[in-house]
Amino acid sequence: MDKIEQNDGTNRDELIMQQQREIEKEISDSTPLVSEQLPITCLNAEYLGDEVFTSKIQDLAGKYKFLRRTRPDGNCFFRAFAYAYLEHLISNKDEYLRFKDLAEKSKDKLVQLGFPSFTLEDFHDTFMEVVKRVDPASGSTDQVCDELHKVFNEQGYSDYVVVYLRLLTSGKLQEEADFYQHFIEGNFTIEEFRHQEVEPMYKESDHIHIIALCTALGVGVRVEYMDRGDTHVKAHDFPEGSTPKVFLIYRPGHYDILYPN
Amino acid sequence: MSTPARRRLMRDFKRLQEDPPTGVSGAPTDNNIMIWNAVIFGPHDTPFEDGTFKLTIEFTEEYPNKPPTVRFVSKVFHPNVYADGGICLDILQNRWSPTYDVSAILTSIQSLLSDPNPNSPANSTAAQLYKENRREYEKRVKACVEQSFID
Repeated sequence: MDKIEQNDGTNRDELIMQQQREIEKEISDSTPLVSEQLPITCLNAEYLGDEVFTSKIQDLAGKYKFLRRTRPDGNCFFRAFAYAYLEHLISNKDEYLRFKDLAEKSKDKLVQLGFPSFTLEDFHDTFMEVVKRVDPASGSTDQVCDELHKVFNEQGYSDYVVVYLRLLTSGKLQEEADFYQHFIEGNFTIEEFRHQEVEPMYKESDHIHIIALCTALGVGVRVEYMDRGDTHVKAHDFPEGSTPKVFLIYRPGHYDILYPN
Repeated sequence: MSTPARRRLMRDFKRLQEDPPTGVSGAPTDNNIMIWNAVIFGPHDTPFEDGTFKLTIEFTEEYPNKPPTVRFVSKVFHPNVYADGGICLDILQNRWSPTYDVSAILTSIQSLLSDPNPNSPANSTAAQLYKENRREYEKRVKACVEQSFID
């Protein structure tokens, strides 16, 4: 924890945190946690006159029909992943039951790994409540999809889902620390990385978060990368060789949900 | 109105009553569960021994996804405590985890009293004395221990 040396006795941490809160509020006032489905071409407005991106959007529009935006608050990967996967489960009943069972049992596993059971229970209860609210058997596909959209735009529920996925990710990193240690840059230990970059809310996700979460849940994810290089979007599947159930687009610093043709 | 933050704070309170950690206590104020008063007793075998240090903890509706603001009300001479009582502790800032509860916060602050981090000073005089003149440091700490009886 390196802080700026200071001698004037003012509480600079608090000033920094206050400023951060103001920026976050500005974002939250202007963007929903998860948007409606939008045409892929809605991205054009952000890259007017930019040939590289315009050609990539065109490429993307050939493979995907819709995009669903998530709020850029550092939790976007986890929120997008949870939404897209639960939405996939609404029309895949058997997989829903597999996931529900896995999610049910995940709490005991995390407790065994050393997570505090008292606070974990709170997140797990809420997570299971959300999973049950989107049970494919609870209504027509449209009704359940509406329920999913509603619950993911309620900050309390939506954030608790993110927290629980962060804890599952952290648990996986700990469980297979020897493996994941190789992916960590700098002098972080797995322990430090989990506490500093995975468990706290609003910390952005990297490949290591994605691989750990996908492995923990047994769910394949395809990420379409849209950056300055090349003229086409580049797809990458996590874990490698898996069949993707969740499709995301990554633009530097942010993930949104994609719907394949 | 029950929100996730309020529900969680009720649970935190219940746990603190049923399973109180040694040397700390805390409770919501009479009419607002979002503001708590707490006391940390100075840990044994440290210059803070015998002190009773009062704190306030202010939560927002974003708790436990964001840490509360914790502040000493009692005067505390410590390398990581600001003049206004604010506390420089990583778990209350960039290493906050939603799995921490009030009990964990108070015990972490209690161990900060025993083990200051002079490389991240909020009170540079305290940090310097802690590193270079431990006897004077302890004298200044003991003065605030005595002050804590009167507060």
